[in-house]
Amino acid sequence: MAVDLGEALGTVRATRSHRAGGRRVPRQKLTRRRKVEARWFWLFISPWLIGFVGFLLGPMVASVYISLTEWDSFTPPTFVGGDNYVRALTEDPVFWQALRNTFFYALVSVPVGLVIGVWLANLLNKQVRGRKLFRTMIYLPTLVPMVATAMVFKMVLAPSGPLNDLLGLVGITGPNWLLDPTWVKPALVVLSAWGAGGATVLLLSAMNGVPKEFYEAAEIDGAGPVRQFWSITFPQITPIIFFNLIMGLIGAFQVFGQVYILTKPVGGPDNASMMMVPLLFREAFSFYQFGYASAIAWLLFVVIIAFTIVAFRTSRRWVFYETEVR
Amino acid sequence: MGTTRSRVRRTGTAAIAALSTLAMVAACGSGGGDAAADGPVTLTMTVWGGDVDKKSYQERIDLFEASQDEISIKLQLIPGDKYEQKVQTMIAGGDGPDIMQVAEGVNVYSSKKQIIPLDDLAADAGLDLEERFGPVGTLYSYDGSVYAVPDRSGAMIVYYNKDMFDAAGVEYPSADWTWEDAQTAMEQLTVPGEQWGYAGAGWWAQWWSFAYQNGGRIIDEDGLPAANSPEVVEALQWANDLTHVHHVAPTAAEYADMGPDMGGDPAFAAQKVAMNTTGFWAINSLLEADFEWDIAPLWQGGEQAVSAFGSGLAISRDSKHAEQAFEAIDFLTDAEAQAVIIKNAQDVPANLEVQASEEFLKPAWATREVNMGAFGESSAFVFTSPLIPEWNQMQAAFDDSLSTFWNEGGDAKTQLDAVQQKLEAVIKPAR
Repeated sequence: MAVDLGEALGTVRATRSHRAGGRRVPRQKLTRRRKVEARWFWLFISPWLIGFVGFLLGPMVASVYISLTEWDSFTPPTFVGGDNYVRALTEDPVFWQALRNTFFYALVSVPVGLVIGVWLANLLNKQVRGRKLFRTMIYLPTLVPMVATAMVFKMVLAPSGPLNDLLGLVGITGPNWLLDPTWVKPALVVLSAWGAGGATVLLLSAMNGVPKEFYEAAEIDGAGPVRQFWSITFPQITPIIFFNLIMGLIGAFQVFGQVYILTKPVGGPDNASMMMVPLLFREAFSFYQFGYASAIAWLLFVVIIAFTIVAFRTSRRWVFYETEVR
Repeated sequence: MGTTRSRVRRTGTAAIAALSTLAMVAACGSGGGDAAADGPVTLTMTVWGGDVDKKSYQERIDLFEASQDEISIKLQLIPGDKYEQKVQTMIAGGDGPDIMQVAEGVNVYSSKKQIIPLDDLAADAGLDLEERFGPVGTLYSYDGSVYAVPDRSGAMIVYYNKDMFDAAGVEYPSADWTWEDAQTAMEQLTVPGEQWGYAGAGWWAQWWSFAYQNGGRIIDEDGLPAANSPEVVEALQWANDLTHVHHVAPTAAEYADMGPDMGGDPAFAAQKVAMNTTGFWAINSLLEADFEWDIAPLWQGGEQAVSAFGSGLAISRDSKHAEQAFEAIDFLTDAEAQAVIIKNAQDVPANLEVQASEEFLKPAWATREVNMGAFGESSAFVFTSPLIPEWNQMQAAFDDSLSTFWNEGGDAKTQLDAVQQKLEAVIKPAR
């Protein structure tokens, strides 16, 4: 077995270093030194490469095939072509409901999280007393394990819980959050906003990196704090906002834990909070339909990649990189 | 030209290298030990549960190993929430356990031939399942064959708070109660906003019992769904009206206000409800309770019926020692080994002889008088749950259409029509 591994590594390394020569450019003879360097490169990259091929690329390719079959994980898979995709897109109402729910969740929770994150970062960027304490407090929720957070939120969101008591003070009768099909998704958004402090830390360090001269110049020109924020701070931190947007979108489309712990039955009531990943988990590990679950996974992949591309395309219009000349 | 060919060849080698890596991974996966056919054999046995379960199963295995010296058993305990996935992975990898614990999901395995039929093995061993286990004996059947031997099996029972019953001057519950008697008692035991007569029947084990009492069936004799029959509709409506019309059971909102993950069992222990219908497991936590309580068999509708919880032992198709595995199962479900289950207060043993024994009726651990006879009494009218291969899909169909109904009340017929439609799309009859 060890021999196999060594051979495999050796071949992969050898192949790759030769191919690195490129197609058009006439291959240059590598100097001895560069050869040795290349060898070290492949040696050091190999743990990642093996991990990637064996544990990511391999399963990914396999899941494409599985998504074209009907497979219960016990008996050999039967090839059914695109049936699973057709079923998801045309026959399964729960799939569309889960997709709609996931869209709602992603398109509400990500902007809400970003706005709160930027707002908190801007507050912390002021020279206030106990700044370090506030910073810690705001980051703390990100460190609490999600299961614990969800348990607390079950209490907070209880029909006569603290949140509804608070709403009662201003004369609003709060809904039965987690038990009500219309309010269970907003409840999940509230839980996600709880973790907005994670983005704050990144945004804050970006704000600290904005050159002070900009603010001084603006002040001399008579710009107030609001104008300073929109004309200096915001453009300067757009790369970090963009990063948080992409990560947030991917995370939101793959939401699982919150739904799994907070709702009972999972995705309930009446599938009102069923999201894509809990759905594919249920299809695979509860219903033993791995083919169908893989098809859902790939459809989710298409959705995420589409949103990421849209975000990148539009980013040219609003994300500002300092090194970039326009 | 020369370079192109060499590139092609190199790419080929790389692909082969990558494949051999995969093959290596695969080889590591299926490294099960294959014992010789003769001589002493070691069987693997997978069960789920916690510390008590581990202790009980191990003690029973020790008894078995002491009784002969040909077969030994390696116990593998898997936490309950990971059990199905883990066993599934073992079987998919061709390395399924010899003996595996199964419950409602039994026919996911049997319908796909992942566990073997036991009729012939039982006949050879001279084991009469009906005699040893009563009506539960053939519970784990598919297509006319038995696939698992019952091991643990306790009917759902009524837990009642004696203090509350005495205070309200209501007679204790019994199997003779009708729905009307039960409802009247619940009404008398309810103090609005403070105390409820009953914990509610939102769980399948609970309201299906009422459906069967009413002559309804979830799956009919032909294996077809019958979830919206008038009998089932009437039972579900009654069960839900207890909460939303008569207010004798807490609503979902009221439960949520009591704390996270609140339900009938903790609410009974917290003296919020006077009656709760659940399984044996609640006894343990109630032994230390500082109020008077007892258990009784479930009341009846048009006929007597009650659900039972339990598990059986099956043999996977991967086992190379099916005969020895059955010998072990035979021993583990016989009186001597089953007595351990009750000695450790783990569960109700499926073996009827043990259920009627003094050890069970007056268990050593009982710090108070508990009417353990309720289990034996219930055994006579346990209904056979429709353990179809699509069990999980069936449960999801009910969950998906009934959660708002349970949470807020509504019309049982409308909801069950929706459930029926989903079930018809999912369930293909076995025969």
